[in-house]
Amino acid sequence: MAETTRAVFRVVINGTIDAVWRELTKQGEAQAAVFNCWLHAQALAPGRKMQMRTGSGKYVMVVGEITEFTPPTRFAHTFRFTQFDDPECEVIYDLKQLPAGVECTLTVDRMPVGTRTAKNMQGGGTMITETLKALVETGRPPLKIRLMYWAFGAMEFVLPKKSSSKNWPL
Amino acid sequence: MNEDELDLLFHAMASQPRRAILEVVRENPGCNMNFVASHFEFSRIGVMKHIDVLEAANLVISERSGRERTLYFNPVPLQEVHEEWTDQYSRFFAGRLTHLKRMIEKGSK
Repeated sequence: MAETTRAVFRVVINGTIDAVWRELTKQGEAQAAVFNCWLHAQALAPGRKMQMRTGSGKYVMVVGEITEFTPPTRFAHTFRFTQFDDPECEVIYDLKQLPAGVECTLTVDRMPVGTRTAKNMQGGGTMITETLKALVETGRPPLKIRLMYWAFGAMEFVLPKKSSSKNWPL
Repeated sequence: MNEDELDLLFHAMASQPRRAILEVVRENPGCNMNFVASHFEFSRIGVMKHIDVLEAANLVISERSGRERTLYFNPVPLQEVHEEWTDQYSRFFAGRLTHLKRMIEKGSK
């Protein structure tokens, strides 16, 4: 069994818990906090499959299964990048209302050590929490993130064929 | 980040032992207090006090696991400071310079 590790990212967001929850669970539009992907799910309930797809819908970046869905405090799902053959890990968002704002904790559990998944999630965790904060507090992601998303869209064709939506029915 | 949060962050980082503790936690996600304390000559109570300061600055996240506290490094506040004090252009050129510095210093060793 591969060695696994856990990473935790936390930020306090000056906004309402409902606004933060909405950014993490909304469907039918891009989730700017989560790499501008679109959340697709059989249903937002434990045991149901979910995916994060590109804006065009042609590629599936992440597949998983919802493990907990407790509005507006906890959303958890298993997580596997379709472009890598790494074992799945689990992503958990915990929201807590504090006097100063909403404490958002992103935990990535069972990350397979030394894999590309772990490398991506280590960097991705900071980016997701930071972008989520900017989104809720200012209404849009920082400029560098907007530029990156523009590049993602323009370069979508470089994604591997194995990530094509045709290979990942929901 | 507001001024109070910045004060907590810089206060936490302005201590050599706390930076060393943070490094141990960063290298060993999920470690406990005893593990961290085993790396230092000062008392366990001393380590606990330093960790409380790091936790107040949101640099360390602790989770209760039975009677133990497991510790994780949270990189988000440092990233926030980095982004607050640099822009797209200064980040690019500063990054080039730090890369150059690393390359030269690595080569001279």
